[in-house]
Amino acid sequence: MEILWFAIFALLLIGYFALEGFDLGVGLLLPVLGRTPENRDRMVAAMAPYVLANEVWLVALAGTMFGVYPLLEGQVLSGLYPLVVAMLLSWVLRDAGLWFRRRLDGARWRAFWDAMIAFGSLGLSFGWGMVLYAAATGFAGSPVHPAGLLLGVVVSLLFAQHGRTFLAWRAPAMFSGSRSGSGASGDTQPGQAPGSFGGFRSGRALALTGVLATLPALGVLAGAAPYLVEASAPAATLSVLSVMVLPITPVLVGAQVWVWRTFRPGKDAYRVPSFF
Amino acid sequence: MDVLDLARTQFAVTGSLHFLFVVLTLGLAPLVAIMHTRWTITGDPAREKAARFWGQIYVINYALGIVTGLVMEFQFGLAWSGLSHYAGDVFGAPLAMETLVAFFLESTFLGLWIFGWGRLPRWAHLACIWLVTLTAYASAFFVMAANAFLQNPAGATVTGDRLALTDPVALFTNKTLIFAFPHVIAAGMFTGGMVLAGASAYKLLRAEDREFFTRSLRTGVAVAAVGIFLTMGTGFAQFAGVQEGKWDNSAAASALGFMVTGGELLALVMLFVLLPLVRFLHRWRWAQRLLVVMTPLPFVLAIMGWLAREVGRQPWMIWERLTVADAMSPGLTAGMVGTSLAAFATVLGLLAVVDYVLIARAVRRGPRALDLGAPADEPRTPVLSY
Repeated sequence: MEILWFAIFALLLIGYFALEGFDLGVGLLLPVLGRTPENRDRMVAAMAPYVLANEVWLVALAGTMFGVYPLLEGQVLSGLYPLVVAMLLSWVLRDAGLWFRRRLDGARWRAFWDAMIAFGSLGLSFGWGMVLYAAATGFAGSPVHPAGLLLGVVVSLLFAQHGRTFLAWRAPAMFSGSRSGSGASGDTQPGQAPGSFGGFRSGRALALTGVLATLPALGVLAGAAPYLVEASAPAATLSVLSVMVLPITPVLVGAQVWVWRTFRPGKDAYRVPSFF
Repeated sequence: MDVLDLARTQFAVTGSLHFLFVVLTLGLAPLVAIMHTRWTITGDPAREKAARFWGQIYVINYALGIVTGLVMEFQFGLAWSGLSHYAGDVFGAPLAMETLVAFFLESTFLGLWIFGWGRLPRWAHLACIWLVTLTAYASAFFVMAANAFLQNPAGATVTGDRLALTDPVALFTNKTLIFAFPHVIAAGMFTGGMVLAGASAYKLLRAEDREFFTRSLRTGVAVAAVGIFLTMGTGFAQFAGVQEGKWDNSAAASALGFMVTGGELLALVMLFVLLPLVRFLHRWRWAQRLLVVMTPLPFVLAIMGWLAREVGRQPWMIWERLTVADAMSPGLTAGMVGTSLAAFATVLGLLAVVDYVLIARAVRRGPRALDLGAPADEPRTPVLSY
């Protein structure tokens, strides 16, 4: 049972990095690829239908941590108090940006919230690198350490790469449209070989950058596995959780699959205006 | 203020902000689901407009429910690690279920409902909003179960220096849960009805979209009247299960008194004045003014209810088991908690104000040029040949 719940915990963490990773990546890229308001609208519209289904993996991860690893939960979060507070504020601002950006007309309003999305995405991505560093050291040292900062940069870059692949997978027309006007040398048309900047990327390429985005988390998980299993809640608690949660797991999986089926790229890849 | 006061204030501020938005979410979700159902069955464009207009109010409100909820969830581990240390094996179970069983699905289905407009098959799209409603209620149930455990630690026994879960059935049939959960649901219904009625009354005062808002005014008044009636019933039913000595706390007792008196006055107005006259309200400006003025009151009373319940629990985190002082995370300083309190209060407070302004503007704009369910204005992405 401890192994089963460790597997669920690990799946939630990895799933968060693989899925929310591209949302945060798109957010990071807003100031880079989204120089025009129209392009930012399209970038946000491309990720919008996934965000609610993706960010919730972290909510579930935190809830699972409370239920399965109650002793660690308090130690870890309160031990990293300033960092967790900063990451929460980043998350709040990112979400507020998404929900608010289109609620009023006006270029400055939308530009402000787009900046909040980018800022929040950066804070969260960078913060995750520092959290992973702290976890790797057994929460012994301060996360503000050159290695922690370096890991923050690495995670941010991996997310940005994942986000770019996501955009090229879901909305390749956006890139061909914006690039052809600028006369860039790496002229890209949909259908061109994967690898050229901005062109179409296959689902397989998206899966690959997704795996890359999870690597830092996977490494830490592998190292922490024995401690986590050891720190599991008692069998009585895990039994109750299993009885309540396991029967509903197919519904959880089904709902996520439904999102991916509904919003898959193709004839109706993204819509502008999108609600976000 | 010392660090304990700061940490308690932080929880109170974020919790109160969270519930302001949650109580409306709980009330509006079923109403929007019913409107969507009537549209799906009849195909009537007026019904579609209603589902989209009130659905938009619902989702704008939802945004703040999410972001304040995130801060709430993580605060347990941030500032109250003593709680998870002592009782995590019991208290953690309903919270884990809330996130995994309820909110995970709620968020996923909400995304499908918002962005699946015009893409999902008609009935599948309708199913999404009902699933959102169902999981929102499940979410409220698990959170109330966790809170009820703090009021009355049923289903657990002290083993060594910690609490162990010994009776899961007792955990979910806690006497401080069985009437408190329907009380919260009924309060949500009252709030949702009042917002419907208040917003409609405002539009009728401006003589805009009379037919549309006359209909929602009547729905709102009827729902609010039933809601306040059920809120009172489930409220008084709770007194049998209240812990001995809870109202010795004078702050809790005054919040309770304020809520009960205010609720009774509102019930009088709703049940004996506005409900019997519901067919005439669309013509009477005094009644419309009254409804606009009454709209914030359910929110005030809901916060009073929480203050009574939570302040009355002091100094206990878990009634007669663990004090809030012992539940606080070790090693926190007044500087750390003061800074985070200031940051959360500022950011969430500002966002809450912005959110209410956006809701007010959405009401003022009326059921036109709606963002929710807007058809694409650009030619769809060209069909790609890959």
